[in-house]
Amino acid sequence: MSLLALPAVARAEDAADGSSPLGIEIHGFVSQGFIKTTSNNYLAEDSTKGSFEFSEVGINFSKQLTDRMRVGMQLFTHDLGPLGNYRTRFDWFYLDYRFWDFLGVRAGRTKLPFGLYNENNDIDAARVPVLLPQSVYPVSNRDFLLAQTGGELYGIVPLAAAGSLEYRLYGGAIFYDTADATSTLSNVRGPYIFGARLMWQPPVEGLQLGASAQRLRLDGDAIFSAAQIAQLQMAGQLPSDFSGPLKFQIPATLGVASVEYSAHDLLLASEYSRWWVNLTSSVPSFSVPETVSERFYLMAAYHVTPWFTPGAYYSVLFQNIDNRKGDAPAYGSPPGTPPLGRGAYQHDLALTLRYDLNSFWLLKLEGHYMHGTAGLSSALNGNQPLSSLPEDWGVFLVKTTAYF
Amino acid sequence: MTRPRQHSRHPTPRPTRRALLWSLLGLCTFAGQSARAESTPEFRVLVNPDNPVNSLSRDFVTDIFLKRTTRWHDGETTHPADQRADAAVRKSFSDTVLRRSVAAIKRYWQQRIFSGRDLPPPELDNDDAVVAYVLKHRGAIGYVTNSAKLGRAKSVSIQ
Repeated sequence: MSLLALPAVARAEDAADGSSPLGIEIHGFVSQGFIKTTSNNYLAEDSTKGSFEFSEVGINFSKQLTDRMRVGMQLFTHDLGPLGNYRTRFDWFYLDYRFWDFLGVRAGRTKLPFGLYNENNDIDAARVPVLLPQSVYPVSNRDFLLAQTGGELYGIVPLAAAGSLEYRLYGGAIFYDTADATSTLSNVRGPYIFGARLMWQPPVEGLQLGASAQRLRLDGDAIFSAAQIAQLQMAGQLPSDFSGPLKFQIPATLGVASVEYSAHDLLLASEYSRWWVNLTSSVPSFSVPETVSERFYLMAAYHVTPWFTPGAYYSVLFQNIDNRKGDAPAYGSPPGTPPLGRGAYQHDLALTLRYDLNSFWLLKLEGHYMHGTAGLSSALNGNQPLSSLPEDWGVFLVKTTAYF
Repeated sequence: MTRPRQHSRHPTPRPTRRALLWSLLGLCTFAGQSARAESTPEFRVLVNPDNPVNSLSRDFVTDIFLKRTTRWHDGETTHPADQRADAAVRKSFSDTVLRRSVAAIKRYWQQRIFSGRDLPPPELDNDDAVVAYVLKHRGAIGYVTNSAKLGRAKSVSIQ
Protein backbone atom coordinates (compact mmCIF):
# COMPACT_ATOMS: atom_id res chain seq x y z
CA MET A 1 0.00 0.00 0.00
CA SER A 2 2.83 2.39 0.91
CA LEU A 3 4.67 1.53 -2.27
CA LEU A 4 1.57 2.23 -4.28
CA ALA A 5 1.26 5.60 -2.63
CA LEU A 6 4.82 6.69 -3.51
CA PRO A 7 4.16 7.77 -7.10
CA ALA A 8 1.20 9.80 -5.95
CA VAL A 9 3.36 11.59 -3.39
CA ALA A 10 5.99 12.31 -6.01
CA ARG A 11 3.38 13.69 -8.38
CA ALA A 12 1.91 15.81 -5.63
CA GLU A 13 5.33 17.36 -5.07
CA ASP A 14 5.54 18.08 -8.77
CA ALA A 15 2.13 19.67 -8.72
CA ALA A 16 3.24 21.84 -5.86
CA ASP A 17 5.54 23.76 -8.18
CA GLY A 18 4.22 27.29 -8.33
CA SER A 19 1.71 26.85 -5.52
CA SER A 20 1.97 26.56 -1.74
CA PRO A 21 4.62 24.32 -0.14
CA LEU A 22 2.00 21.62 0.54
CA GLY A 23 0.64 21.86 -2.97
CA ILE A 24 -2.65 23.21 -1.66
CA GLU A 25 -4.05 26.03 -3.75
CA ILE A 26 -5.95 28.54 -1.68
CA HIS A 27 -8.17 31.15 -3.30
CA GLY A 28 -10.77 33.47 -1.89
CA PHE A 29 -12.92 36.50 -2.45
CA VAL A 30 -14.74 39.16 -0.48
CA SER A 31 -17.47 41.27 -2.08
CA GLN A 32 -19.53 44.14 -0.80
CA GLY A 33 -22.29 45.69 -2.84
CA PHE A 34 -24.84 48.44 -2.60
CA ILE A 35 -28.21 48.33 -4.30
CA LYS A 36 -30.64 51.17 -4.83
CA THR A 37 -33.88 51.10 -6.77
CA THR A 38 -35.96 54.05 -7.92
CA SER A 39 -39.11 52.18 -6.88
CA ASN A 40 -39.99 48.56 -6.01
CA ASN A 41 -37.87 46.64 -3.54
CA TYR A 42 -35.60 44.30 -5.47
CA LEU A 43 -33.44 41.57 -3.93
CA ALA A 44 -33.35 43.43 -0.59
CA GLU A 45 -36.14 44.66 1.68
CA ASP A 46 -35.20 48.33 1.59
CA SER A 47 -33.62 48.70 -1.81
CA THR A 48 -35.70 51.81 -2.51
CA LYS A 49 -33.81 53.49 0.31
CA GLY A 50 -30.55 51.82 -0.63
CA SER A 51 -29.26 48.61 0.91
CA PHE A 52 -25.86 47.22 1.77
CA GLU A 53 -27.31 43.74 2.28
CA PHE A 54 -25.29 42.47 -0.65
CA SER A 55 -22.17 40.69 0.61
CA GLU A 56 -20.31 37.54 -0.37
CA VAL A 57 -17.28 35.81 1.11
CA GLY A 58 -15.73 32.59 -0.13
CA ILE A 59 -12.53 30.66 0.36
CA ASN A 60 -11.51 27.47 -1.33
CA PHE A 61 -8.81 24.85 -0.98
CA SER A 62 -7.78 22.54 -3.80
CA LYS A 63 -5.09 19.94 -4.01
CA GLN A 64 -3.85 17.95 -6.95
CA LEU A 65 -3.28 14.56 -5.35
CA THR A 66 -1.97 12.88 -8.49
CA ASP A 67 -1.84 13.78 -12.17
CA ARG A 68 -5.38 12.53 -12.49
CA MET A 69 -6.95 13.11 -9.10
CA ARG A 70 -7.88 16.37 -7.43
CA VAL A 71 -9.87 17.27 -4.33
CA GLY A 72 -11.30 20.61 -3.31
CA MET A 73 -13.82 22.46 -1.21
CA GLN A 74 -15.18 25.98 -0.94
CA LEU A 75 -16.75 27.61 2.08
CA PHE A 76 -19.19 30.36 1.26
CA THR A 77 -21.27 32.85 3.18
CA HIS A 78 -23.41 35.64 1.88
CA ASP A 79 -26.16 38.07 2.60
CA LEU A 80 -28.59 39.22 -0.05
CA GLY A 81 -31.69 40.78 1.42
CA PRO A 82 -33.63 37.97 3.10
CA LEU A 83 -31.28 35.28 1.74
CA GLY A 84 -28.08 33.95 3.20
CA ASN A 85 -27.82 35.94 6.42
CA TYR A 86 -24.14 35.03 6.72
CA ARG A 87 -24.69 31.34 7.36
CA THR A 88 -21.51 29.60 6.30
CA ARG A 89 -21.91 26.49 4.18
CA PHE A 90 -20.04 24.25 1.79
CA ASP A 91 -20.52 25.84 -1.59
CA TRP A 92 -18.89 22.85 -3.22
CA PHE A 93 -16.62 19.95 -2.40
CA TYR A 94 -15.51 17.19 -4.67
CA LEU A 95 -13.23 14.36 -5.55
CA ASP A 96 -12.29 14.56 -9.20
CA TYR A 97 -10.64 11.81 -11.20
CA ARG A 98 -9.84 12.40 -14.86
CA PHE A 99 -9.21 9.05 -16.61
CA TRP A 100 -8.65 10.67 -19.96
CA ASP A 101 -9.43 14.08 -21.41
CA PHE A 102 -12.63 12.61 -22.80
CA LEU A 103 -13.76 11.03 -19.51
CA GLY A 104 -13.60 12.27 -15.96
CA VAL A 105 -15.75 11.68 -12.92
CA ARG A 106 -16.55 13.97 -10.01
CA ALA A 107 -18.35 13.13 -6.80
CA GLY A 108 -19.49 15.43 -4.00
CA ARG A 109 -21.33 18.71 -4.03
CA THR A 110 -20.73 20.18 -7.45
CA LYS A 111 -21.90 23.28 -9.26
CA LEU A 112 -24.64 22.72 -11.84
CA PRO A 113 -23.51 23.25 -15.42
CA PHE A 114 -26.60 24.96 -16.77
CA GLY A 115 -26.08 27.40 -19.62
CA LEU A 116 -22.91 29.40 -19.96
CA TYR A 117 -22.72 31.00 -16.53
CA ASN A 118 -24.78 29.20 -13.88
CA GLU A 119 -21.64 27.92 -12.17
CA ASN A 120 -20.38 31.50 -11.89
CA ASN A 121 -23.51 33.08 -10.51
CA ASP A 122 -21.77 34.02 -7.26
CA ILE A 123 -18.30 34.71 -8.67
CA ASP A 124 -18.16 38.43 -9.17
CA ALA A 125 -14.57 38.48 -10.40
CA ALA A 126 -15.33 36.05 -13.22
CA ARG A 127 -17.78 38.23 -15.11
CA VAL A 128 -18.40 41.80 -16.16
CA PRO A 129 -21.93 42.51 -14.86
CA VAL A 130 -22.77 42.71 -11.17
CA LEU A 131 -25.96 40.78 -11.83
CA LEU A 132 -25.99 38.18 -14.55
CA PRO A 133 -29.11 38.43 -16.74
CA GLN A 134 -31.76 37.64 -14.16
CA SER A 135 -34.13 36.07 -16.64
CA VAL A 136 -31.86 33.04 -17.04
CA TYR A 137 -29.79 33.26 -13.83
CA PRO A 138 -32.07 34.57 -11.07
CA VAL A 139 -29.90 35.20 -8.05
CA SER A 140 -32.85 34.44 -5.77
CA ASN A 141 -32.68 30.82 -7.00
CA ARG A 142 -29.05 30.52 -6.01
CA ASP A 143 -29.65 28.26 -3.06
CA PHE A 144 -31.30 25.49 -4.99
CA LEU A 145 -30.25 25.89 -8.62
CA LEU A 146 -26.53 26.40 -8.20
CA ALA A 147 -25.25 23.07 -6.91
CA GLN A 148 -26.21 19.46 -6.38
CA THR A 149 -24.93 16.67 -4.18
CA GLY A 150 -24.18 13.64 -6.29
CA GLY A 151 -21.96 12.76 -9.21
CA GLU A 152 -20.92 13.98 -12.60
CA LEU A 153 -19.27 12.62 -15.74
CA TYR A 154 -17.44 15.07 -17.96
CA GLY A 155 -15.03 15.22 -20.83
CA ILE A 156 -13.96 16.82 -24.08
CA VAL A 157 -14.32 14.78 -27.25
CA PRO A 158 -12.21 15.88 -30.25
CA LEU A 159 -14.20 16.07 -33.48
CA ALA A 160 -11.25 16.52 -35.86
CA ALA A 161 -12.10 19.25 -38.38
CA ALA A 162 -15.43 19.90 -36.66
CA GLY A 163 -13.76 21.18 -33.49
CA SER A 164 -14.55 19.56 -30.16
CA LEU A 165 -17.49 18.70 -27.94
CA GLU A 166 -17.48 19.20 -24.19
CA TYR A 167 -20.07 17.25 -22.25
CA ARG A 168 -21.24 17.23 -18.64
CA LEU A 169 -23.74 14.66 -17.30
CA TYR A 170 -24.85 14.84 -13.68
CA GLY A 171 -27.35 13.56 -11.19
CA GLY A 172 -27.99 13.87 -7.49
CA ALA A 173 -30.11 15.68 -4.93
CA ILE A 174 -30.59 19.34 -4.07
CA PHE A 175 -29.91 20.64 -0.61
CA TYR A 176 -32.17 23.54 0.28
CA ASP A 177 -31.42 25.60 3.34
CA THR A 178 -34.80 25.90 5.04
CA ALA A 179 -33.51 28.91 6.96
CA ASP A 180 -33.88 30.77 3.67
CA ALA A 181 -37.47 29.64 3.25
CA THR A 182 -40.26 32.05 4.04
CA SER A 183 -42.28 31.65 7.22
CA THR A 184 -44.96 29.78 5.28
CA LEU A 185 -42.58 27.16 3.84
CA SER A 186 -40.82 24.36 5.65
CA ASN A 187 -39.12 21.05 5.00
CA VAL A 188 -38.18 22.13 1.48
CA ARG A 189 -35.93 19.63 -0.24
CA GLY A 190 -34.96 18.50 -3.71
CA PRO A 191 -35.08 14.69 -3.86
CA TYR A 192 -33.55 14.54 -7.32
CA ILE A 193 -31.95 16.52 -10.09
CA PHE A 194 -30.31 15.26 -13.24
CA GLY A 195 -29.24 16.90 -16.43
CA ALA A 196 -26.69 17.42 -19.13
CA ARG A 197 -24.81 20.18 -20.87
CA LEU A 198 -23.21 19.90 -24.30
CA MET A 199 -20.94 22.65 -25.58
CA TRP A 200 -19.61 22.49 -29.10
CA GLN A 201 -16.49 24.44 -29.96
CA PRO A 202 -16.53 24.63 -33.77
CA PRO A 203 -13.34 25.49 -35.66
CA VAL A 204 -14.10 29.21 -35.37
CA GLU A 205 -11.81 30.96 -32.92
CA GLY A 206 -13.61 31.86 -29.68
CA LEU A 207 -17.03 30.53 -30.68
CA GLN A 208 -18.99 27.97 -28.70
CA LEU A 209 -22.55 26.79 -28.99
CA GLY A 210 -24.37 24.65 -26.51
CA ALA A 211 -27.52 23.26 -25.01
CA SER A 212 -28.35 22.36 -21.42
CA ALA A 213 -31.30 20.60 -19.88
CA GLN A 214 -32.13 19.54 -16.37
CA ARG A 215 -34.99 17.88 -14.59
CA LEU A 216 -35.59 18.39 -10.87
CA ARG A 217 -38.25 18.29 -8.21
CA LEU A 218 -38.71 20.38 -5.09
CA ASP A 219 -40.90 19.06 -2.27
CA GLY A 220 -42.07 20.93 0.79
CA ASP A 221 -44.79 21.93 3.18
CA ALA A 222 -46.75 25.16 3.21
CA ILE A 223 -47.78 26.23 6.69
CA PHE A 224 -50.69 28.63 7.18
CA SER A 225 -51.69 30.54 10.27
CA ALA A 226 -55.11 29.89 11.78
CA ALA A 227 -56.31 33.22 10.37
CA GLN A 228 -55.04 32.36 6.89
CA ILE A 229 -56.71 28.95 7.04
CA ALA A 230 -60.02 30.51 8.04
CA GLN A 231 -59.73 33.06 5.24
CA LEU A 232 -58.87 30.43 2.64
CA GLN A 233 -61.68 28.18 3.87
CA MET A 234 -64.13 31.05 3.52
CA ALA A 235 -62.90 31.62 -0.01
CA GLY A 236 -63.48 27.93 -0.71
CA GLN A 237 -59.82 27.28 -1.45
CA LEU A 238 -59.28 24.95 1.50
CA PRO A 239 -61.62 22.16 2.61
CA SER A 240 -63.46 22.79 5.88
CA ASP A 241 -61.64 19.91 7.60
CA PHE A 242 -58.16 21.13 6.57
CA SER A 243 -55.65 21.00 9.40
CA GLY A 244 -52.40 21.49 7.45
CA PRO A 245 -49.68 21.52 6.50
CA LEU A 246 -50.25 21.63 2.78
CA LYS A 247 -47.79 19.32 1.08
CA PHE A 248 -46.58 20.27 -2.37
CA GLN A 249 -44.28 19.05 -5.12
CA ILE A 250 -42.81 21.21 -7.86
CA PRO A 251 -41.42 19.17 -10.72
CA ALA A 252 -39.58 21.29 -13.27
CA THR A 253 -37.71 20.90 -16.52
CA LEU A 254 -35.28 23.62 -17.54
CA GLY A 255 -33.66 24.01 -20.93
CA VAL A 256 -31.35 26.60 -22.44
CA ALA A 257 -29.61 27.10 -25.77
CA SER A 258 -26.38 29.10 -25.63
CA VAL A 259 -23.96 30.84 -27.93
CA GLU A 260 -20.81 32.67 -26.90
CA TYR A 261 -18.08 34.38 -28.86
CA SER A 262 -14.99 35.33 -26.91
CA ALA A 263 -11.93 36.44 -28.82
CA HIS A 264 -9.19 38.92 -27.96
CA ASP A 265 -10.98 41.69 -26.00
CA LEU A 266 -14.53 41.06 -27.09
CA LEU A 267 -17.23 38.93 -25.47
CA LEU A 268 -20.62 38.37 -27.04
CA ALA A 269 -23.16 35.97 -25.55
CA SER A 270 -26.79 35.11 -25.97
CA GLU A 271 -29.03 32.46 -24.45
CA TYR A 272 -32.62 31.39 -24.88
CA SER A 273 -34.30 29.38 -22.16
CA ARG A 274 -37.63 27.81 -21.31
CA TRP A 275 -38.67 26.43 -17.94
CA TRP A 276 -41.58 23.99 -17.63
CA VAL A 277 -42.90 24.09 -14.07
CA ASN A 278 -46.03 22.77 -12.41
CA LEU A 279 -47.19 22.42 -8.84
CA THR A 280 -49.09 19.53 -7.35
CA SER A 281 -50.38 19.69 -3.82
CA SER A 282 -52.30 17.69 -1.27
CA VAL A 283 -55.18 20.14 -1.80
CA PRO A 284 -56.20 20.00 -5.46
CA SER A 285 -57.32 23.64 -5.57
CA PHE A 286 -53.71 24.69 -4.90
CA SER A 287 -52.29 22.64 -7.76
CA VAL A 288 -51.15 24.62 -10.77
CA PRO A 289 -51.01 23.08 -14.24
CA GLU A 290 -47.76 23.23 -16.16
CA THR A 291 -46.61 26.76 -16.94
CA VAL A 292 -43.91 27.47 -19.50
CA SER A 293 -41.80 30.55 -18.92
CA GLU A 294 -39.52 32.10 -21.52
CA ARG A 295 -36.20 33.78 -20.89
CA PHE A 296 -33.50 35.21 -23.14
CA TYR A 297 -30.78 37.80 -23.27
CA LEU A 298 -28.08 39.36 -25.44
CA MET A 299 -24.85 40.45 -23.76
CA ALA A 300 -21.66 42.19 -24.85
CA ALA A 301 -18.49 43.25 -23.08
CA TYR A 302 -15.25 44.72 -24.31
CA HIS A 303 -11.86 45.16 -22.63
CA VAL A 304 -11.10 48.75 -23.63
CA THR A 305 -7.98 48.64 -21.51
CA PRO A 306 -6.70 45.96 -19.09
CA TRP A 307 -8.32 47.96 -16.26
CA PHE A 308 -11.56 49.06 -17.88
CA THR A 309 -14.30 46.82 -19.28
CA PRO A 310 -17.74 48.16 -20.10
CA GLY A 311 -20.54 45.72 -20.73
CA ALA A 312 -24.24 45.73 -21.51
CA TYR A 313 -27.09 43.31 -21.84
CA TYR A 314 -30.75 43.17 -22.65
CA SER A 315 -32.66 40.48 -20.84
CA VAL A 316 -36.30 39.44 -21.11
CA LEU A 317 -38.47 37.27 -18.92
CA PHE A 318 -42.00 36.11 -19.64
CA GLN A 319 -43.53 34.15 -16.79
CA ASN A 320 -45.94 32.34 -19.07
CA ILE A 321 -45.61 32.04 -22.83
CA ASP A 322 -49.41 31.85 -23.08
CA ASN A 323 -49.79 35.13 -21.21
CA ARG A 324 -46.89 37.31 -22.34
CA LYS A 325 -48.83 40.58 -22.08
CA GLY A 326 -50.43 39.71 -18.76
CA ASP A 327 -53.96 39.92 -20.10
CA ALA A 328 -55.01 36.86 -18.10
CA PRO A 329 -54.61 35.97 -14.41
CA ALA A 330 -51.84 33.65 -13.29
CA TYR A 331 -52.37 30.12 -14.59
CA GLY A 332 -54.44 28.04 -12.18
CA SER A 333 -55.60 30.99 -10.04
CA PRO A 334 -59.11 30.94 -8.61
CA PRO A 335 -61.94 32.64 -10.49
CA GLY A 336 -62.09 36.37 -9.98
CA THR A 337 -58.31 36.82 -9.76
CA PRO A 338 -57.23 39.99 -11.63
CA PRO A 339 -54.96 39.75 -14.70
CA LEU A 340 -51.21 39.45 -14.16
CA GLY A 341 -50.63 42.68 -16.05
CA ARG A 342 -47.07 44.00 -15.74
CA GLY A 343 -46.27 41.07 -13.43
CA ALA A 344 -46.20 38.82 -16.50
CA TYR A 345 -43.00 40.22 -18.00
CA GLN A 346 -39.73 41.96 -17.27
CA HIS A 347 -37.45 43.71 -19.73
CA ASP A 348 -34.06 44.57 -18.29
CA LEU A 349 -31.56 46.82 -20.04
CA ALA A 350 -28.29 46.91 -18.11
CA LEU A 351 -25.04 48.82 -18.49
CA THR A 352 -21.94 47.95 -16.45
CA LEU A 353 -18.59 49.62 -15.99
CA ARG A 354 -15.95 47.31 -14.53
CA TYR A 355 -12.71 48.75 -13.24
CA ASP A 356 -9.90 46.37 -12.36
CA LEU A 357 -8.04 48.56 -9.91
CA ASN A 358 -5.23 46.02 -9.69
CA SER A 359 -4.82 42.28 -10.10
CA PHE A 360 -6.80 41.46 -6.96
CA TRP A 361 -9.31 44.26 -6.57
CA LEU A 362 -12.15 45.43 -8.78
CA LEU A 363 -14.99 47.91 -8.69
CA LYS A 364 -18.20 47.78 -10.70
CA LEU A 365 -20.91 50.35 -11.36
CA GLU A 366 -24.13 49.16 -12.92
CA GLY A 367 -27.47 50.63 -13.94
CA HIS A 368 -30.64 48.86 -15.06
CA TYR A 369 -33.72 50.17 -16.75
CA MET A 370 -36.55 47.78 -15.91
CA HIS A 371 -39.91 47.49 -17.60
CA GLY A 372 -42.31 45.09 -15.91
CA THR A 373 -42.33 43.46 -12.50
CA ALA A 374 -42.11 39.72 -13.24
CA GLY A 375 -38.81 39.22 -11.46
CA LEU A 376 -39.90 40.95 -8.26
CA SER A 377 -40.92 39.38 -4.98
CA SER A 378 -44.33 40.29 -3.65
CA ALA A 379 -43.07 39.53 -0.14
CA LEU A 380 -40.40 42.25 -0.43
CA ASN A 381 -43.03 44.74 -1.53
CA GLY A 382 -45.57 44.59 1.25
CA ASN A 383 -47.29 41.54 -0.26
CA GLN A 384 -48.77 43.74 -2.96
CA PRO A 385 -49.65 41.97 -6.20
CA LEU A 386 -46.92 42.45 -8.81
CA SER A 387 -49.51 43.95 -11.15
CA SER A 388 -49.91 46.92 -8.81
CA LEU A 389 -46.21 47.83 -8.56
CA PRO A 390 -44.67 50.57 -10.73
CA GLU A 391 -43.99 49.23 -14.21
CA ASP A 392 -40.93 51.30 -15.13
CA TRP A 393 -38.17 51.48 -12.59
CA GLY A 394 -34.42 51.56 -12.24
CA VAL A 395 -31.74 49.70 -10.33
CA PHE A 396 -28.29 51.05 -9.48
CA LEU A 397 -25.56 48.86 -8.09
CA VAL A 398 -22.05 49.42 -6.86
CA LYS A 399 -19.95 46.44 -5.97
CA THR A 400 -16.35 45.94 -5.05
CA THR A 401 -14.57 42.62 -4.83
CA ALA A 402 -11.16 41.62 -3.61
CA TYR A 403 -9.92 38.19 -4.66
CA PHE A 404 -6.81 36.11 -4.80
CA MET B 1 -43.93 45.01 -25.88
CA THR B 2 -45.22 48.56 -26.02
CA ARG B 3 -42.37 50.41 -24.38
CA PRO B 4 -42.39 54.13 -25.27
CA ARG B 5 -39.45 55.01 -27.52
CA GLN B 6 -37.75 58.33 -27.18
CA HIS B 7 -35.58 59.81 -29.90
CA SER B 8 -33.84 63.09 -29.26
CA ARG B 9 -34.06 65.65 -32.07
CA HIS B 10 -31.54 67.93 -30.43
CA PRO B 11 -27.89 68.14 -31.47
CA THR B 12 -25.56 65.77 -29.66
CA PRO B 13 -24.96 67.26 -26.21
CA ARG B 14 -21.40 67.85 -25.06
CA PRO B 15 -21.15 64.95 -22.57
CA THR B 16 -22.23 62.51 -25.27
CA ARG B 17 -19.64 63.90 -27.67
CA ARG B 18 -17.01 63.46 -24.99
CA ALA B 19 -18.13 59.88 -24.43
CA LEU B 20 -17.88 59.26 -28.17
CA LEU B 21 -14.37 60.70 -28.18
CA TRP B 22 -13.31 58.39 -25.35
CA SER B 23 -14.87 55.44 -27.17
CA LEU B 24 -12.91 56.30 -30.34
CA LEU B 25 -9.71 56.63 -28.33
CA GLY B 26 -10.41 53.20 -26.84
CA LEU B 27 -10.90 51.73 -30.32
CA CYS B 28 -7.62 53.30 -31.53
CA THR B 29 -5.86 51.72 -28.56
CA PHE B 30 -7.41 48.37 -29.47
CA ALA B 31 -6.36 48.71 -33.12
CA GLY B 32 -2.79 49.47 -32.05
CA GLN B 33 -2.74 46.47 -29.75
CA SER B 34 -4.05 44.20 -32.50
CA ALA B 35 -1.45 45.44 -34.94
CA ARG B 36 1.33 44.73 -32.45
CA ALA B 37 -0.05 41.27 -31.76
CA GLU B 38 0.12 40.37 -35.43
CA SER B 39 3.79 41.27 -35.74
CA THR B 40 6.60 38.76 -35.18
CA PRO B 41 6.05 36.87 -31.92
CA GLU B 42 8.13 38.28 -29.09
CA PHE B 43 8.47 34.94 -27.34
CA ARG B 44 9.67 31.40 -27.75
CA VAL B 45 7.77 28.32 -26.63
CA LEU B 46 9.84 25.81 -24.68
CA VAL B 47 9.46 22.16 -23.80
CA ASN B 48 11.58 19.70 -21.89
CA PRO B 49 14.54 18.33 -23.94
CA ASP B 50 13.19 14.79 -23.48
CA ASN B 51 9.91 15.74 -25.14
CA PRO B 52 10.06 14.40 -28.72
CA VAL B 53 7.98 17.21 -30.27
CA ASN B 54 9.63 19.85 -32.42
CA SER B 55 6.57 21.75 -33.55
CA LEU B 56 3.06 22.15 -32.20
CA SER B 57 -0.18 23.44 -33.56
CA ARG B 58 -1.45 26.66 -32.06
CA ASP B 59 -4.76 24.96 -31.16
CA PHE B 60 -2.96 22.22 -29.25
CA VAL B 61 -0.90 24.76 -27.27
CA THR B 62 -4.09 26.71 -26.51
CA ASP B 63 -5.77 23.53 -25.26
CA ILE B 64 -2.78 22.78 -23.03
CA PHE B 65 -2.74 26.25 -21.49
CA LEU B 66 -6.50 26.22 -20.92
CA LYS B 67 -6.15 22.65 -19.57
CA ARG B 68 -8.59 21.32 -22.11
CA THR B 69 -5.86 18.84 -22.98
CA THR B 70 -3.83 17.25 -20.20
CA ARG B 71 -1.76 14.71 -22.13
CA TRP B 72 0.98 14.91 -24.73
CA HIS B 73 0.61 12.56 -27.67
CA ASP B 74 2.89 10.03 -25.94
CA GLY B 75 0.67 10.02 -22.84
CA GLU B 76 2.87 12.20 -20.65
CA THR B 77 0.98 14.68 -18.49
CA THR B 78 1.19 18.28 -19.65
CA HIS B 79 2.53 20.88 -17.20
CA PRO B 80 1.96 24.35 -18.64
CA ALA B 81 3.57 27.35 -16.95
CA ASP B 82 2.49 30.95 -17.38
CA GLN B 83 4.36 34.12 -16.62
CA ARG B 84 3.07 36.93 -14.40
CA ALA B 85 -0.07 38.69 -15.64
CA ASP B 86 1.77 42.00 -16.00
CA ALA B 87 4.68 40.56 -18.00
CA ALA B 88 4.92 41.84 -21.58
CA VAL B 89 5.76 38.32 -22.79
CA ARG B 90 2.52 37.01 -21.24
CA LYS B 91 0.52 39.57 -23.19
CA SER B 92 2.32 38.72 -26.40
CA PHE B 93 1.79 34.97 -25.89
CA SER B 94 -1.85 35.44 -24.91
CA ASP B 95 -2.67 37.66 -27.88
CA THR B 96 -0.81 35.53 -30.41
CA VAL B 97 -1.43 31.96 -29.28
CA LEU B 98 -4.48 31.99 -27.03
CA ARG B 99 -5.99 34.87 -29.03
CA ARG B 100 -7.59 36.32 -25.96
CA SER B 101 -6.44 39.17 -23.79
CA VAL B 102 -4.69 38.40 -20.51
CA ALA B 103 -7.74 39.84 -18.73
CA ALA B 104 -10.04 37.42 -20.57
CA ILE B 105 -7.79 34.50 -19.67
CA LYS B 106 -7.70 35.62 -16.04
CA ARG B 107 -11.49 35.71 -16.07
CA TYR B 108 -11.60 32.22 -17.59
CA TRP B 109 -9.50 30.95 -14.69
CA GLN B 110 -11.52 32.83 -12.08
CA GLN B 111 -14.56 30.96 -13.38
CA ARG B 112 -12.73 27.64 -13.14
CA ILE B 113 -11.16 28.30 -9.74
CA PHE B 114 -14.25 29.47 -7.90
CA SER B 115 -16.61 26.94 -9.45
CA GLY B 116 -14.22 24.16 -8.47
CA ARG B 117 -13.52 23.10 -12.03
CA ASP B 118 -9.77 23.40 -12.28
CA LEU B 119 -6.68 25.35 -11.31
CA PRO B 120 -4.63 27.62 -13.56
CA PRO B 121 -1.03 26.94 -14.57
CA PRO B 122 1.49 28.35 -12.11
CA GLU B 123 2.48 31.97 -12.78
CA LEU B 124 6.25 32.11 -12.70
CA ASP B 125 8.23 35.27 -12.07
CA ASN B 126 10.53 35.44 -15.07
CA ASP B 127 12.21 33.65 -17.97
CA ASP B 128 14.74 31.91 -15.73
CA ALA B 129 11.98 30.43 -13.60
CA VAL B 130 10.19 29.16 -16.70
CA VAL B 131 13.35 27.54 -18.06
CA ALA B 132 13.98 25.89 -14.68
CA TYR B 133 10.38 24.63 -14.57
CA VAL B 134 10.58 23.22 -18.09
CA LEU B 135 13.84 21.42 -17.30
CA LYS B 136 12.36 19.97 -14.11
CA HIS B 137 9.17 18.50 -15.60
CA ARG B 138 9.25 16.20 -18.60
CA GLY B 139 5.75 17.26 -19.62
CA ALA B 140 6.31 20.97 -19.07
CA ILE B 141 5.67 23.71 -21.59
CA GLY B 142 6.30 27.42 -21.13
CA TYR B 143 7.23 30.56 -23.01
CA VAL B 144 10.03 33.07 -22.61
CA THR B 145 11.25 36.26 -24.25
CA ASN B 146 13.46 35.91 -27.32
CA SER B 147 16.50 37.04 -25.35
CA ALA B 148 16.16 34.39 -22.62
CA LYS B 149 18.93 31.88 -22.02
CA LEU B 150 17.40 28.49 -22.73
CA GLY B 151 20.04 26.17 -21.32
CA ARG B 152 19.00 22.62 -22.32
CA ALA B 153 15.34 23.55 -22.79
CA LYS B 154 14.05 22.96 -26.30
CA SER B 155 12.40 25.68 -28.33
CA VAL B 156 9.53 24.46 -30.52
CA SER B 157 7.81 26.15 -33.40
CA ILE B 158 4.11 26.98 -33.35
CA GLN B 159 2.11 26.43 -36.53
